[in-house]
Amino acid sequence: MGTFIVRRLLVALGVALTISVVSFMLLHLSGDLATSIAGPEATAEQVAQIRVEYGLDRPIVSQYLDWLGGALQFDFGRSYYYQSTVIDLIVERMPITLTLGGLALGLAVCISIPLGVVAALKRDSWVDRLALLFAVVGQAMPSFWFGLTLIVVFAVTLKWLPAAGSGGLEHFILPAIALGYYATPAMMRLTRTGMLEVLESDYIRTARAKGLSTTSVIFKHALRNAIIPVVALAAVELGFMLGGSVVIESVFSLGGLGQLAWDAISRNDYPVVQAVVLIIALFYIVLTLLADVANAALDPRIRTR
Amino acid sequence: MPLLDVQDLRVDLPVEAGTLHAVRGIDLSVERGEMLCLVGESGCGKSMTSLALMGLLPRRAQLSAGRLDFAGESLTALSERRRGQLRGRRMAMIFQEPMTALNPAYTLGNQLCEAFLRHRLGNRRQARERAIELLERVGISAAAERLAQYPHQLSGGLRQRVMIAMALMCDPDLIIADEPTTALDVTIQAQILRLLRDLQQEMGTAVIFITHDLGVVARIADRVAVMYAGEVIETAPTQALYANPSHPYTRGLLSCIPAPGKTPPGSRLQAIPGVVPSLVGEVEGCAYRNRCPLVREGEVDAARCERTPELRRLTGDHQARCHYAEHRAATRVAQPEMSP
Amino acid sequence: MTVSTSTTSRPSRAPAAGGRARALGELPLPRPAWSRVTRKMFGHRGLAIGLVCVGLAVLVALFAPLLAPHDPYFQDISNRMVPPVWHDKGSWTHVLGTDKLGRDYLSRLIYGTRISLTIGLVAALISGVIGTTLGVLAGYFGGRVDAFISYIITTRLAMPVVLVALALASLTGGSLTTVIVLLGLLLWDRFAVVSRSVTQQLRDAEYVYAARTLGCSLPYILVREILPNIAGALIVVITLEMAHAILLEATLSFLGMGVQPPLPSWGLMVAEGKAYMFFQPWVIAIPGVALFVLVLAINLLGDGLRDLNAPGGRN
Repeated sequence: MGTFIVRRLLVALGVALTISVVSFMLLHLSGDLATSIAGPEATAEQVAQIRVEYGLDRPIVSQYLDWLGGALQFDFGRSYYYQSTVIDLIVERMPITLTLGGLALGLAVCISIPLGVVAALKRDSWVDRLALLFAVVGQAMPSFWFGLTLIVVFAVTLKWLPAAGSGGLEHFILPAIALGYYATPAMMRLTRTGMLEVLESDYIRTARAKGLSTTSVIFKHALRNAIIPVVALAAVELGFMLGGSVVIESVFSLGGLGQLAWDAISRNDYPVVQAVVLIIALFYIVLTLLADVANAALDPRIRTR
Repeated sequence: MPLLDVQDLRVDLPVEAGTLHAVRGIDLSVERGEMLCLVGESGCGKSMTSLALMGLLPRRAQLSAGRLDFAGESLTALSERRRGQLRGRRMAMIFQEPMTALNPAYTLGNQLCEAFLRHRLGNRRQARERAIELLERVGISAAAERLAQYPHQLSGGLRQRVMIAMALMCDPDLIIADEPTTALDVTIQAQILRLLRDLQQEMGTAVIFITHDLGVVARIADRVAVMYAGEVIETAPTQALYANPSHPYTRGLLSCIPAPGKTPPGSRLQAIPGVVPSLVGEVEGCAYRNRCPLVREGEVDAARCERTPELRRLTGDHQARCHYAEHRAATRVAQPEMSP
Repeated sequence: MTVSTSTTSRPSRAPAAGGRARALGELPLPRPAWSRVTRKMFGHRGLAIGLVCVGLAVLVALFAPLLAPHDPYFQDISNRMVPPVWHDKGSWTHVLGTDKLGRDYLSRLIYGTRISLTIGLVAALISGVIGTTLGVLAGYFGGRVDAFISYIITTRLAMPVVLVALALASLTGGSLTTVIVLLGLLLWDRFAVVSRSVTQQLRDAEYVYAARTLGCSLPYILVREILPNIAGALIVVITLEMAHAILLEATLSFLGMGVQPPLPSWGLMVAEGKAYMFFQPWVIAIPGVALFVLVLAINLLGDGLRDLNAPGGRN
């Protein structure tokens, strides 16, 4: 178990470093940065000046090492557009994205797990078919379009909730629904198949042979085992949702990390883009680590290895 | 009055091609403290019978019975709630696969005490004490520490011992053991068999022991019922069955067992040629006639076998479902060793 | 039937064998369930619906010039924002109305099918080649190769796809070709994961072992023995990744970093209609529904193929 954890951590560290290289190179390999920062009307002198000013004339490796050294101390440089450091921008926007992700995940869990359990228990019934339909629709719906539809229906027509902007919790409800629906189908299906598989297993028959109540058989014996992979998936889905927040946040003008990234991309504000890519990737890495930990905690076969 | 009295038990399963008659009208009775062995090859309906008795049939299965009485109560008339109170409390079950029959997510202690607590036989402390006592009785050392262990930390033999202890937790009147030794190593098989036999005699619990292995039967059973194609084709006290097997199928099964000292070294073990008929749709006539050596050798009138035979009383407690049960063919049966 | 053959083959020992064999033949024997596969294929409603819809979309894309009532790029400023035909002010000249530049919405929708399908198909093929190559190599060789490729896969999974795609599309200036290549380079992870695990199972199969013993070359084994056997799983992944690529392209275009105007990308149409959605919701509803239906159909097709591949169970 000990060596397993160490190896797992080393891989995570390696992945994080690789991604830092990728997110740095991403923007440096795809054209002359100085030209794109300066804009189309800049003169050659201005471009040259910018190149020196931003240190773009130095070798790429030393630029990377400087950037990484700073990143390790949470110093991602200054934004080209805003008059502040990148880390300040991120710290300011982060809570919004985390709130959105947390709410969306909570929503997805609250819907997908009960629905998956019921679908499995009532296999091939109308509930099961409805759940499947719900999942299939969720997988095919473009999240930006679903977000816009929610705005038209609930904000414009019914006037129940605000259409855009950040503020109180009510601003998060529609975005959380739009983002959460995106994560629901996979978790629902995994719960359903897991339950179906477990309900067929020998130990469920043993539990029934003991005369246990149906509730105890389903929740204590079946769900407890079926839920293990779902917990891991939930962690991974949260990682995906943080990455996907760029779409939902720009639809709802929510002003979190995602919108910061989108604005930065449109304005060629590279230090911000690099930092956000790296930070969201780090979140994903940490979340997958947590998923492994949760797996081990829930499954004695892994825990006591 | 027998503890368990079953008459004309039928189990039907809807399948794609029609209805599978898994159990086709069997009669069984088990006295208190008796060990009955239900013998047959896979697919003969013996597991379906045990699940039907426990009330654990798959939901799509249909059960009907002329009589299904347990300790004077009709099981078919009971509510699901009342049935749940019997299950695990007065009738318990041991399954074939010890590796998968225990829930991997809970400790042995948790799973052992579960039924005891559910049937309100005492508090947690008492449940724990009984679990330790029974684990020791089934031959598990350091019982108290074992309670905190998980199933995957135990070998198959140990898990089957835990399953036996679990079945005994509520001191049931009847235990149904469905091939409890099939998945185990041969040496461990023998240990588990002896343990079951000892416990059964010590506690006076009735046991229905299901197996495909007639060699096992000789060592433990009081009485034997041989099943074929969803029917009981012969039933007799163990001694009588081995001394005088009356159904050609029983004789076939017995000749498949090598007997030390009697089967000549290097000789081929016998096998019964042919296949079991499909139980989808109605089976007319004797179900065994397509494999029956009496029919094949032309020793009997095959036309008579087209009519379905009844389970007939031959002598005393010995019954067989064959028109020619009294016919003695040239097939000589090598008898396995009987243990005292 | 099989039982009776033993009796008929020895007529000398049993004179009445013929008659008896016929009588014995009446005993029902276990029957093979060969018909189950065909029944499943035709009986699978999702697969049928998916197949029909995708087929229709392909036809629409192929015959777009014939089907489209107008030139999708023709601007008619005097006929801006005409509502669709079911609306009070709609007309049959523009069945689905016109957009803010007076371009016929139906024609743009029809030409948009071409963009979505092209992007889905080509991107899925590019990522399929990349992912399958990596996955098969990792699965077949195991050991260090596997460790390294798994590491690449993990790294790829940790990258936020939408963000990276957005950033790259913005840098490369967003065109149909760059979007296709970008998505192809990004969406290979599932191909790699699936082909890796299937290859691992096949690696020790008898026939692969036999080919190795016979001295077949490595490329021969990989292409002739392994690939045909993972094809079933790969076809399922192709459909899923097609759907994924189509959705991502729409997202990129919606955010202004994908396919550029005046191309009639559905995602772009939603973006262009966004300003009008409060009073003319159909401007976003129509391209959105088209996107939804196409992706749904491809997913149904994929799910159906997966069910056919893996017997027993819907998921």
